[in-house]
Amino acid sequence: MISVTDLHKSFGKVEVLKGMSCEIAASEVVCLIGPSGSGKSTFLRCLNLLESITAGTVIINGHDLGDPKLNKITVRKDVGMVFQQFNLFPHLKVLDNIMLAPLKVGKKDRPATERKALELLDKVGLSDKADAYPSALSGGQQQRVAIARALAMDPAVMLFDEPTSALDPETVGDVLEVMKRLAEEGMTMVVVSHEMGFAREVADRVIFIDEGLIVEEGKPSEMFDTPRHERTRAFLRRVS
Amino acid sequence: MTWYLGDLIPYLPLILQGLWVSIYVSVASFLAGTALGLVAYRAKAGRSPALRRMSSAYIEVIRNVPLLVVLYLIYFGLGQFGINLDPLWSTLIALTINNGAYVAEILRAGFDSVPGGLREAAQALGMSSRQTFRYVVFVPGIRKVFPALTNQFILLFLFSSVASVIALPELTNALMTVNSNTLRTFEVFTVGALLYYAVSSVLAVGSRVGEKRLFKW
Amino acid sequence: MGDLLTYLPPLARGAGMTIILCLIVGVAGSILGFVIGLARASSIGVLRWISAIYTNFLRGIPLLIILLFTYFALPLLIPGAVFSQLMSGAIGLTLFVSAYIAEVVRGAIESVPRGQYEAAEALGLGFFNKFRYVIVPQAMRVMVPPWVGILLAMIKDSSLVSVIGFVDLTQAGKIVGTTTMQPLWAFVVVGAVYFFICYPLGRFGRWYEKRLSISLARPPDTLQIFVPAISGLLEHEPPRDAGGST
Repeated sequence: MISVTDLHKSFGKVEVLKGMSCEIAASEVVCLIGPSGSGKSTFLRCLNLLESITAGTVIINGHDLGDPKLNKITVRKDVGMVFQQFNLFPHLKVLDNIMLAPLKVGKKDRPATERKALELLDKVGLSDKADAYPSALSGGQQQRVAIARALAMDPAVMLFDEPTSALDPETVGDVLEVMKRLAEEGMTMVVVSHEMGFAREVADRVIFIDEGLIVEEGKPSEMFDTPRHERTRAFLRRVS
Repeated sequence: MTWYLGDLIPYLPLILQGLWVSIYVSVASFLAGTALGLVAYRAKAGRSPALRRMSSAYIEVIRNVPLLVVLYLIYFGLGQFGINLDPLWSTLIALTINNGAYVAEILRAGFDSVPGGLREAAQALGMSSRQTFRYVVFVPGIRKVFPALTNQFILLFLFSSVASVIALPELTNALMTVNSNTLRTFEVFTVGALLYYAVSSVLAVGSRVGEKRLFKW
Repeated sequence: MGDLLTYLPPLARGAGMTIILCLIVGVAGSILGFVIGLARASSIGVLRWISAIYTNFLRGIPLLIILLFTYFALPLLIPGAVFSQLMSGAIGLTLFVSAYIAEVVRGAIESVPRGQYEAAEALGLGFFNKFRYVIVPQAMRVMVPPWVGILLAMIKDSSLVSVIGFVDLTQAGKIVGTTTMQPLWAFVVVGAVYFFICYPLGRFGRWYEKRLSISLARPPDTLQIFVPAISGLLEHEPPRDAGGST
């Protein structure tokens, strides 16, 4: 589903991603962990071209992100993203937030879109909030709406950029529940997160990134219990 | 010196007529000017370097030259080329051009203040930059600067008085006529000031109410 | 166009008059505005109310009305008085500008956190010392960018004084334009002069503001900022960005 080969990304003269390579299969749930500034978010944002690729190859659901003729919108229809700050559209009701992209980008008809949106809202447990504005929702609720909004485009891959980092501890659980169910349904997910519990329970693979490079990767049990590299061990010691 | 409003009464229709002209000139110019300002903003924020430079030039020139000079340029200046516009059209054009430049900058402040995250979310969902602007940036941006926009309208209304110098029969012009006819200078201009004040107050309150009604989120 | 060169002196004189007028009004208006602003922000109810009426009213009526009033009506109050056009223009413009500056000063003073007053008082600083060494310096930083904006706008608004006959740059342009029968060129030159006075000052103001790095928005461009009337009492401020007129 996702194939990354020797990915480099620089901002001006500063090289943030220094040659990362990995493969992510369909329905796989991969967690990216690592210290701040390591490049995990940048890597994630390269996958839907919110950041451009300086060098290397990325192929996601058959789209070659390095192809200059590639229309970014085509990729983004296939790749959904959930942001740390939720980024719900404040002037639209919850239901409209979810329906906006399918209607305008996907050009679907209104009744079908509305039905789908209500289904998704129900799936994340917020059917009663369809007519509310984002400002009336708690952080956790907003993030769940954000997940529904991303799912409305029927993506093949879902990217999560620190989805729970801006939430109160009480609401984190609700969001992780939704993500867990999504994983069980077979969605391909790439998650940047500090939630080690989630990684352990739900992830198929954990990748440790430091200073723009993949240091180690493996199954959660291997990574957390028996890390091979000293840097991985040091990081895990610091966060637990 | 005695204060006596009675002399003004026969001129009340003239004064109110002038007020009406001031109002509709302001409204028309504001609407046209805001449309122009939106176009100028899009040009300045757009991709074509030529358009960017043109709209920047327009905005900077108008913001640094007095309205009265622009008005004279249009009313008297164009006459040099045989284009003789009447006071009404000159005023409308001058006010529109003037308003457009200021509105463009107000809009810029508003749209620029929309958090980048919203734009990214829209892009991540696959929206083009035009769609992103139209559905995600526009409304929140307008809300942010709604007070500045209504304030701009009030300013425009107050400065429409400048058109009196080219004999547009708006409120200030009417006041000057009444003044020369009755010589009740004090009374005339006090009444005039109060009329302007009343309208601008109503607009100010209306702006606050409007903001609450329009932006329920 | 060649004619115009011979008419440069009158235009230059007009520009000179504009500059003189603006200097006078700039100083007088700032001082008056500052004082009224202090009154506006003071804790003495009566002072606040009177200054509120002053600022709200003057900001809620056209500058032209103020000028016409000052030129025609005010002299009637003082028997036998005749105001020169420069005097009326200066008085009218000063009153107008002072109202806006007063509101800026008020906003700036009110932006200084309560804690500063308390700390100053706890240290034993009396009323004047408190204001002079603690409050006003902090208020200054907030005040300067919009204050510069008001003065810049005043330069453009000064063109209205031409309406009561004062031969400033704009009036000089009108006279030259009609005598040469080339009003277009005359007013283009006039506009250019205004532009080359205001634009650099504006750039300087923005650069200075960046250096102070106070506000994130650009300084307001002309005499607006806070919408007058009842809104003034409700403490409503539009964001400090670039609206304006004239």
